[in-house]
Amino acid sequence: MNKWFKQLGLAAALLFSTVSFAAETPAPAAQPEAVVAAVQAQQSEYSQLWTELKNGATGYTTSQSQFHNQPINSYDLRVLELRSGWLAPGLMLALFGMIIIFALFIMVNGISKLHHGFSGKMVHRWSKLDISIHWLGAIPCLTLILTGLTLLAGRFFLQPVVSEGFWAGVVYFAKQVHNVMAIPFMFGWLLMTLMWAKNQMPKMYDLKWFLVVGGYINFGPFKGKHPDSGFANAGEKMWFWTFALFGLVISASGMLLLFPNLFEPSRTLSLISLILHAVSAIIICAFSIVHIFMATVMSEGGMECMVSGYCDENWATQHHNLWFDEIKANGTLKYRES
Amino acid sequence: MATMKFLCDTKRCIECNGCVTACKNENDSALEWGIQRRRVVTLHDGQPGEASISVACMHCSDAPCMAVCPADCFYRTEDGVVLHNKDKCIGCGYCLYACPFGAPQFPKKGAFAARGKMDKCTFCSGGPEENFSEAERQKYGSNRIAEGKLPMCAELCATKALLAGDAEVVSGIYRERVAYRGADNAAWK
Repeated sequence: MNKWFKQLGLAAALLFSTVSFAAETPAPAAQPEAVVAAVQAQQSEYSQLWTELKNGATGYTTSQSQFHNQPINSYDLRVLELRSGWLAPGLMLALFGMIIIFALFIMVNGISKLHHGFSGKMVHRWSKLDISIHWLGAIPCLTLILTGLTLLAGRFFLQPVVSEGFWAGVVYFAKQVHNVMAIPFMFGWLLMTLMWAKNQMPKMYDLKWFLVVGGYINFGPFKGKHPDSGFANAGEKMWFWTFALFGLVISASGMLLLFPNLFEPSRTLSLISLILHAVSAIIICAFSIVHIFMATVMSEGGMECMVSGYCDENWATQHHNLWFDEIKANGTLKYRES
Repeated sequence: MATMKFLCDTKRCIECNGCVTACKNENDSALEWGIQRRRVVTLHDGQPGEASISVACMHCSDAPCMAVCPADCFYRTEDGVVLHNKDKCIGCGYCLYACPFGAPQFPKKGAFAARGKMDKCTFCSGGPEENFSEAERQKYGSNRIAEGKLPMCAELCATKALLAGDAEVVSGIYRERVAYRGADNAAWK
């Protein structure tokens, strides 16, 4: 048993301090048997009452406050340790750790250059609507990661190094921004998941993509490899489905925490939401870092897709050959008019 | 130092709600409308085995609210009392989820009934503000501990069901009660 249970048990023992103590007290000499019997009678009554309370018994109270008709709400107190001991450092690692790992990887490996340089011919890849919903989700996502990190782990890494007043301001600001940004993020997540799923279906050639790590490794047997990929490559598909799934978990758990008056979750369900929210955040954060690195630094010419919606023809043939062949064959290939 | 605890004797509590009233009156300056730091819950109301118990913050020695608070606004006094800093509180409500006793309360403020600053029992020992200051009175209520007195709820309990004080002293009184209660030569049976 962990210490939390012991503490609750201790509080309980004090609250309904029972007869383990009483047995030690010397009984009055005149009535030893009567006293023993009385103590035993109380003991069984107390233990019965304590069992009921531990199991979450509710009763009558004049208080109108939430949850006040239940004296004790028992739950597995390990969730608290899980949150502060594992999830808080986990989210820090998912953000800072991934940045360090990826920066080191790029320093060692170098970026993925376009073999034939830029052609200057820009191929239509994303519509204006696609770009809009991407940033509708992406900008809130970044602010949610930073404010969420402050809320989950700020007390461990930021609070000790700043003044009390500054910390109070930061954490309050983080909460407000987190609450507000949650709404556009959920719309972005929903629209992206629904509108883009058809291009993200796994194909057999995706396995080969994974075998050569997408062709991004610039040394050893992987060097110069260019695995087949359609509109989205296997890595992007993995990111998409991870985001779709954990975006759902983080949105649903977030709604319970943001609108408790609407959904009226139990306290235990709220705590479970907190845990699920943090787990999803760690996964989405780690993937987001990879996604941002791939788009901005790693893949030369990649960022242009989410700026103008067009990609260089050489980028298309190098990274998404099957897609380029397909649009060329069926006549949907559209160049940017200059 | 002492380790302050509450103890409620369910054999004595008569559900008079005197402790609730005493608390409300004593900490009136800090309590917003609808906030009740202490309440009495009656199990099996009107049936055999009826038992009432007065519940507020239990000032846990390893408090879940303290562990879960994103703003880290809780602290423990040298008397083992768990207090919080309302200037740090962000009204997220996590302490309410984590507290086994439902002690933290929130005034409803702002759009979508967003939570205000959390309020809970202070063991009548004020808050982080200076002792007996106006700010302390407005935010946290009375500070009887600094006056050398015990919490008003326990002090006003007519049947002495609710005890407050150092854990060892309180449990000593209780132990004695359990041993003598119901004995043939006792005043009360």
